[in-house]
Amino acid sequence: MNTKTKKTYYILVAFTIFMFSFSYMLVPLYDLFCDITGLNGKTNKVKAIVIEEPSERFIKIKFVSNVAQSAPVKFYPIEKEMTVQIGKIYNTKYLITNTSKTNMITTASPSVVPGEMSQYFRKIECFCFNHQEIKSNETKELGVQFMIDTEIPNDADSLILSYTMFDITEKNINKKVSLK
Amino acid sequence: MSANLEHAEHHQPSGIMRWITTTNHKDIGTLYLFFSLLMFFIGGLMALVIRAELFEPGLQLVVPGFFNQMTTMHALIMIFGAVMPAFVGLANWQVPLMIGAPDMALPRLNNWSFWILPFAFTMMISTLFFEGGGPAAGWTLYPPLSLQGGNSMPFVIFSIHLLGLSSILGAINIIATILNMRAPGMTLMKMPMFVWTWLITAFLLIAAMPVLAGAITMLLTDRFFGTSFFTASGGGDPVLFQHIFWFFGHPEVYILILPAFGIISTILPTFSRKPLFGYDSMVYATASIALLSFIVWAHHMFTVGMPLAGELFFMFATMLIAVPTGVKVFNWVATMWRGSMTFETPMLFSIAFIVLFTIGGLSGLMLAIVPADFQYHDTYFVVAHFHYVLVPGAIFAIIAAVYYWLPKWTGKMYDEFLGKIHFWLTTIFVNVTFFPMHFVGLAGMPRRIPDYAVQFTDFNAIASVGAFGFGFAQVLFLYILYKALKDDVTVGEKAWDGAQGLEWTLSSPPPYHSFETPPKVE
Repeated sequence: MNTKTKKTYYILVAFTIFMFSFSYMLVPLYDLFCDITGLNGKTNKVKAIVIEEPSERFIKIKFVSNVAQSAPVKFYPIEKEMTVQIGKIYNTKYLITNTSKTNMITTASPSVVPGEMSQYFRKIECFCFNHQEIKSNETKELGVQFMIDTEIPNDADSLILSYTMFDITEKNINKKVSLK
Repeated sequence: MSANLEHAEHHQPSGIMRWITTTNHKDIGTLYLFFSLLMFFIGGLMALVIRAELFEPGLQLVVPGFFNQMTTMHALIMIFGAVMPAFVGLANWQVPLMIGAPDMALPRLNNWSFWILPFAFTMMISTLFFEGGGPAAGWTLYPPLSLQGGNSMPFVIFSIHLLGLSSILGAINIIATILNMRAPGMTLMKMPMFVWTWLITAFLLIAAMPVLAGAITMLLTDRFFGTSFFTASGGGDPVLFQHIFWFFGHPEVYILILPAFGIISTILPTFSRKPLFGYDSMVYATASIALLSFIVWAHHMFTVGMPLAGELFFMFATMLIAVPTGVKVFNWVATMWRGSMTFETPMLFSIAFIVLFTIGGLSGLMLAIVPADFQYHDTYFVVAHFHYVLVPGAIFAIIAAVYYWLPKWTGKMYDEFLGKIHFWLTTIFVNVTFFPMHFVGLAGMPRRIPDYAVQFTDFNAIASVGAFGFGFAQVLFLYILYKALKDDVTVGEKAWDGAQGLEWTLSSPPPYHSFETPPKVE
């Protein structure tokens, strides 16, 4: 290789490595983009909750539950629907029952539809991404405390809060002593 | 090939070791082309399994799981095994000859780029014999489905890593050759169009392939090392994968077509006996297509749920690509306009390329329209679209290139009559196969499903007949190649009287080491 070719070669290899790292940079970029636009309906945003005077408006909230990959659990909201006053704090619960013969660990991921409204859905307490250990045939209550932000646009008349429950026992079996 | 034998006496190992240890661009080009021919037939057989199953509704021949493995493997093999290595093989043979270089800039790297491929594909195809079978989540490997696959998944991902490595190294080599080894006097704007398109394609490759490598590495760590890039249970987002994948995927489709543009731009002037119309605008159009390809990826995923502004941006950016592509198509037509045209087999394939590729381009424009795409998404209309741009697009260009340069590479002429038969069979059957897919797609038949509703039966039966006809026509292609290679050397320096370029100043076949003293370009 002459020096000119060597130089081209090194520049191109460096560029290749840069592009590989760029694919990883896309992950935080995507999260940032979703934060700004509320694209993927994620609700876990850190913002101080200011208790204000509740507004006079009401909004309908629907609660939805899903179980991923037919995990052996029953998972459903106690209330399917609530009409809530905007700016006021409410409590509700989901119930989860382990229908299998073994103990399991589960976790839930939340989502709000429509995605743009997720920023106004303030969850004060939530079980999302916590690991729940559930013994065989045990039923647990999972509480949600939430408030709808007073800044929510007027054209929103209903929101859907959805949780998808995942069985993550296999991934965590080595970490948790209590299951043995 | 007396030059080869003469050289072999000096220091070249003979027999199989010649091919394993070779660093000669002509040998490596030949290896690439034969490898891609083999993969073309393996991938083709998989397509025939798919079409045989879809000949009538209901499940007849294969179980749905195996059908899904066939659709996945057919795509992976045709993209990474047939089309890309064929283009790299053509670049290996032609780029040094066309720019007056003695060889590629990095010959040992070149040898390695090729020899990674057989190992990668052995590993990928071997997954079909695993318990649980090969990958079945589609070549796009979308999570969460791809994360739930069997044991084949890490093997497929590792073989895609190797394929990516191979094509990145090949691309680095091609750029280094084109930028540093041109004959004196050959400025960038005097380079043949094929060289230009490959230079741009090579840049696309090193920009896009590492992103794919990153995306599938994330899949791998999600599955085995507890990360949560795409697993929703850990806070990841499966849609993120689609964004990263198509950030690679859209430049990839131009990687599969830009060298074809270069081939057509080379063949048309030869048989029209006129220089290429609008050389400069062709170069700029190719470069703009390449740049635009990085800002249109989300048109593959309009239905995933995006803000309206995003949908509109990606729709208009996608439609913008029609402008430089239109420049190319009009330039090709203008090249033929009032030329003294003759219709040898390479020319026939090139003209068919222009007509049929344009049909694929137009259905692409239809798919770019967001509200329409909500209807077309994941239907056979999409299948018809991308097969129109890939089969009569990329594959026709490769076949045309082989017919066009075979006399140069071997000094032997193919049988023109059989070549024309091959052309007509291929062109008729390609349309019989893929045109009805537009209709069933518009009527709502989903892709990647082994069964379908009875109202789609007729068009599916026609498509299946076409697919088998297309397959048999390619067996004729094999025979034509075999017959030509068995023939005697009869071709002089210029196989085609209208051909221009440095490669035609060499003997046919060219000496094993050509342009050891660089030619002068005025």
